[in-house]
Amino acid sequence: MTGRLYPVIQTGAFILLALILCSLIFAAVGLSATETLRAILDGAFFRPNALSYILRWGLPLLITAVGVVISFRAGYFNIGAQGQFYLGAICAAFAAEWLRGSPAFVAVPACLLAGMAGGALWALWPALLRVKAGADEVITTMMGNFIAAQILVHVTSGPLKDPSGSGQQASSRPIEAAWRISDSSGSSLIIIAIAALVVLLGWWLVNRTSFGILSGLAGRNPVMVTWQGAKVQRIAISAFVLSGALAGLAGSVELMGPNGRLASGFLPDHGFTAILIALVAGMSVIAAAFIALFFGALTSSGLWLPVMTGLPSSAIDIINASIALFITAKAGVFRGLLIRLRR
Amino acid sequence: MEDLIVAFLRSGTPLVYVTLAGVIAQRAGIWHLGLEGMMITGACATILGIVLAQSVLVGLVAGALFCCLLALLFWFVVEVLKANQIIAGLGLTGLGLGGTALTLTAIFGSEGAVSAPFGLPRLGAAFGAFGGLSILVAAMPVVVFACWLLLCRTRFGLRLAACGEHPFAARATGVNPVTVRLVALLLGGPLCALGGAELAAGSLQIFSVNMTAGRGFMSFAAVIFGAGHPLGATLASFFFALVGALGIRAQLTYGDRIPSSLLLALPYVATVIGLWISARMRGGNTAFSRELGQQ
Repeated sequence: MTGRLYPVIQTGAFILLALILCSLIFAAVGLSATETLRAILDGAFFRPNALSYILRWGLPLLITAVGVVISFRAGYFNIGAQGQFYLGAICAAFAAEWLRGSPAFVAVPACLLAGMAGGALWALWPALLRVKAGADEVITTMMGNFIAAQILVHVTSGPLKDPSGSGQQASSRPIEAAWRISDSSGSSLIIIAIAALVVLLGWWLVNRTSFGILSGLAGRNPVMVTWQGAKVQRIAISAFVLSGALAGLAGSVELMGPNGRLASGFLPDHGFTAILIALVAGMSVIAAAFIALFFGALTSSGLWLPVMTGLPSSAIDIINASIALFITAKAGVFRGLLIRLRR
Repeated sequence: MEDLIVAFLRSGTPLVYVTLAGVIAQRAGIWHLGLEGMMITGACATILGIVLAQSVLVGLVAGALFCCLLALLFWFVVEVLKANQIIAGLGLTGLGLGGTALTLTAIFGSEGAVSAPFGLPRLGAAFGAFGGLSILVAAMPVVVFACWLLLCRTRFGLRLAACGEHPFAARATGVNPVTVRLVALLLGGPLCALGGAELAAGSLQIFSVNMTAGRGFMSFAAVIFGAGHPLGATLASFFFALVGALGIRAQLTYGDRIPSSLLLALPYVATVIGLWISARMRGGNTAFSRELGQQ
């Protein structure tokens, strides 16, 4: 039991450390740390319809986070979830444009599949650069994020631009009302079902298939896996493509569900938050399901804060960043320090 | 042509300063993905120093101090708590981006842009077309040379490289890699602050949220592209700046035919291609994935 409990305690301790850092930063800019944190919690869990908001923000994050788990377990730092998410939304929007007029039972699955394909393709080129040329995937996927953001700007102000649209933010024409898988509140049975399916399949893939076992080993000891004759390159490419496809699925779910149209620069922190969820969950798909709902609550709180309390929404960014700073720290260090102190 | 060179120097100088900070960290064995967060902190502190204290010097010193504080935090997390460098670096970047946004809201009440009445001192009319450039542009070659001297021609530079390439060997000769890395990261603090200062106060005299727009990450790519050598990395960041300047020029000339947002993506595409070329030339590691902090 202690073996299972220990990582949880360790994670909790480092999140506490992250919160202390946040409080220091809030205090440094002149905000009351306790009041800010309480307001964030209020916005996350105790406002009217909190559960519906948590599901709206948490479920797409969960879908992307399962993908991140798959690629991180294989030992590949695919930090391009944001770009793959954008490309998924863009491809789904193009599919929706081409299929205009067709019935919903054809169009909705087609758009979701197009989103997955888009995300997978945006993960494929860093994967190929990684296994064929050895270009580091951390930088290529990150540059992919920036390129994807520019493609999104281009698409929403060019090919898919809504001619009747006005206002500052460029956006595409709205998705046909009959195709929306949720209203703009964003929590619907279809999205819950998609997320549940992703978690189930993700869990099965990671824990019950040879790909899952081998990729987990490849992440910890690639030399051994290579010597055992497993095709590490194939595992790498599959891991990248799967994680990209899931991020793309999340993008198309956001498009067909709560957003209803493609807007330039939407949800810029989605990918980073999904990476955090995967890390806090300790690379477990089941844990990610719960952690994603927590981060979904934080995200919804970030939108609530400026409206209801006048606190800046960047307070949430600070919390996320501090958690990122500490989450991969190893608590064994403390034990080492204690031993050294006793001497 | 002169316009192009001026535009090139303007976009290149911030990159070079931040790249040098990345090179020092890289040689000491730290992948510094927090450069973006330190750069924006430097930019914010410089503009706030000019606005609140009416002094460029106060801004620069404050920027350097805050960047050193971030560097210290990064060192503590990465070297003492043994956190994963990439994730912690992304966290540091998030802290810089979010922290500057929070600071703006706390001081001015909204996350907008802050413009300063004056910027860094300029070279002056004596330099003709280049007179509008800041003194940091002129100081850049000196700083690059000093970094090269420090890293490649001194005992300290050798020790630093030893800590990056073979920490056990360094330890065997009595050099503590953990301490050397602290020095390396702290040296990067003022460099990032100068890069941010040049970006915000060099020609624009304005600070806005997220204004670095990935330049820190581009600098990091330049470090990798330049194989961690100060001169190679400087050339790499010049290359990215040149692509950026050419992109802006193309936007002015062919803006009606080529969409501007795709031209804005050019430096990032160049970074990917540059990385690909350097990996091919040096024979990158194609087989093995990295060791991951699996919990």
